[in-house]
Amino acid sequence: MTVIYSLRNVVKERLIDGVGFRLLVPKIEIRAQENIAVVGHSGCGKSTLLDMLALILRPDQCAEWSVHPVDGDNHDIAKLWQRDQQSKLSQIRKQHIGYVLQSGGLLPYLTVRENIDLPRKLLNLPEDDSINSISKVLGIERQLDKLPGLLSAGERQRASFARALSHRPTILIADEPTAALDPITAQKIMAVVMEVIKGLKITLITASHDWAHVYKMELRTLRQEAEAVEDGKVYQSRFSD
Amino acid sequence: MAQITNIIRLSFRDYSHEWRMSGCFILALSSVLAPMMILFGLKFGIVTTMIHQLVENPANREIRPIGSGRYDDAWIDQYRNRGDVEFIIPKTRALAATIQLKSTSANRIVSTELLATAAGDPLLTGLTSVPKDYSQVVLSQSAAKKLKVSTGDEIDASLARQFQGRRERVHLPLEVIDIADEVVTSRNVAFVNLELLIASEQFKDGRAVPKLGWEGNSDKLEERFYPSFRLYARSIYDVENLVNDLEKAGARIKANVGEIKTVQSIDENLSVIFWIIACVGALGFSFSLGASLWANVDRKRKELSVLRLIGFKSGRIVMFPVLQSCYTAVLGWLLAVLVYLAFEYLINFFLAPQLNLDRALCFLLAEHFLWALGMTIVIAIFAAILGGMRAARIEPSDGLREI
Repeated sequence: MTVIYSLRNVVKERLIDGVGFRLLVPKIEIRAQENIAVVGHSGCGKSTLLDMLALILRPDQCAEWSVHPVDGDNHDIAKLWQRDQQSKLSQIRKQHIGYVLQSGGLLPYLTVRENIDLPRKLLNLPEDDSINSISKVLGIERQLDKLPGLLSAGERQRASFARALSHRPTILIADEPTAALDPITAQKIMAVVMEVIKGLKITLITASHDWAHVYKMELRTLRQEAEAVEDGKVYQSRFSD
Repeated sequence: MAQITNIIRLSFRDYSHEWRMSGCFILALSSVLAPMMILFGLKFGIVTTMIHQLVENPANREIRPIGSGRYDDAWIDQYRNRGDVEFIIPKTRALAATIQLKSTSANRIVSTELLATAAGDPLLTGLTSVPKDYSQVVLSQSAAKKLKVSTGDEIDASLARQFQGRRERVHLPLEVIDIADEVVTSRNVAFVNLELLIASEQFKDGRAVPKLGWEGNSDKLEERFYPSFRLYARSIYDVENLVNDLEKAGARIKANVGEIKTVQSIDENLSVIFWIIACVGALGFSFSLGASLWANVDRKRKELSVLRLIGFKSGRIVMFPVLQSCYTAVLGWLLAVLVYLAFEYLINFFLAPQLNLDRALCFLLAEHFLWALGMTIVIAIFAAILGGMRAARIEPSDGLREI
């Protein structure tokens, strides 16, 4: 399988409440249609890593970072960040990446249908039945004309998945998508999502702090190690294959 | 392009979704703009009425020579061709410009002042015709009443002189082609063709007027000089400049400069007051809108981050608060116009009659409304740039975690 993400020596540093935090990625390779779980406790940098993989967070150091969303389409992300080519990054993001946030992240002033349709509109994709079909699969076909504020938490997450998948991205990034749901609903949603991404041949990268959940979904996990460095002034978290 | 149309659509959807907040912005804007429009409407209405009253009376635009001068045709033509001169016509000596009129319907002879006239004479505005030859006359109301004549009547004009030791009198039939408005003059005046005025002077000076068959000395004048003239500036604003030029040219003249200056000074002072209030209002509104949009961007950072995440460029995100500010500007202006129109009606309906004004006390022209709209949009965009810059600087990864 093609390597979609290839990262080497990527570093992101942050100052959180006066304490230094360093995210270190010595090496990660993610192949097409792999299902990856970024597992770790709260504050270990899972979301930071996902944001970098979603190309919305600039790394501080980066020896190598390439993205090959489809065959023959190779992007040197390290160089794009270096040159601050935000336009190109946003182009790759809108075309190849779908992102599901922990609480949905639906725009409150658009209906569910309009929310799902937004990535397609941005890509000028032709109108077809894909919104109805993805909504049907995710069980929200009767909620399409409602505003997100009128949906339950589970329905909002389903709608968020539908939006992330509507433009048929190559990569789906989900940041603890079921953390706010009860276990039964969470399990139901993830089961459907796994079916969908399998059918659409999408690579899933999800963050979770629930090991049981990850084992059940048979996801490949990235190793996470944490240590205090520089005399305890910096909390360093390493993610690797 | 897809991003631009989408950002316009999204910004408007968000704007209408948060209608309470948007309504507050609109009310805030119109509460600043409407009083300014009413103030300007009053200033414009009052000053325009005063100016109109000045303009309506040509006497306010008249520049009158004092005493006697020497003005030839070339001098008169030079001023006639100036853009700031509406009308100029020579006058002969006052004693020579007097004629005796008699009609068949009144048994009295009315001694009347002769004034030359021509097309475009501001004193005869509204009349369909002006005397074109020796046989026509326009009478003032006073003269017409005394002679008991009306338009179309024929009157007898006569001139008398002492010539070579004997008294002579000539008669000339004149057709009354019109009667001037009462406001033009209260004196007995006969408006005639310039040729007749000159003929009258020639006759009184003892010279012959062959065209009218009046005998006398046949010596010909080398060059004609007029002792005076009737001059009207094109507008009241041209009077001062003309007065200066005429004085520089050596003419001793008199004009209503003082009254005109008073109106101009009122206009200027009211304008200064208006612009001070307008600037303070605009500044206050800019800061208020700017601060609101700044805070609004902060409130919406999550949603703006989602837009960045979905793939909107940061340049397009800047448009989000700027567009919303424009919506506020247009709708706020619209509300302000409605409020203004309501107040304009009330002021003109209740206040204007009490002040005995035949014109509106408060009114604005269409271009004033468009100017207000343009200025409001510019100020709103200026204020929104603050919020827009903040929106562009939002790190999506920071905003997303708050969702």
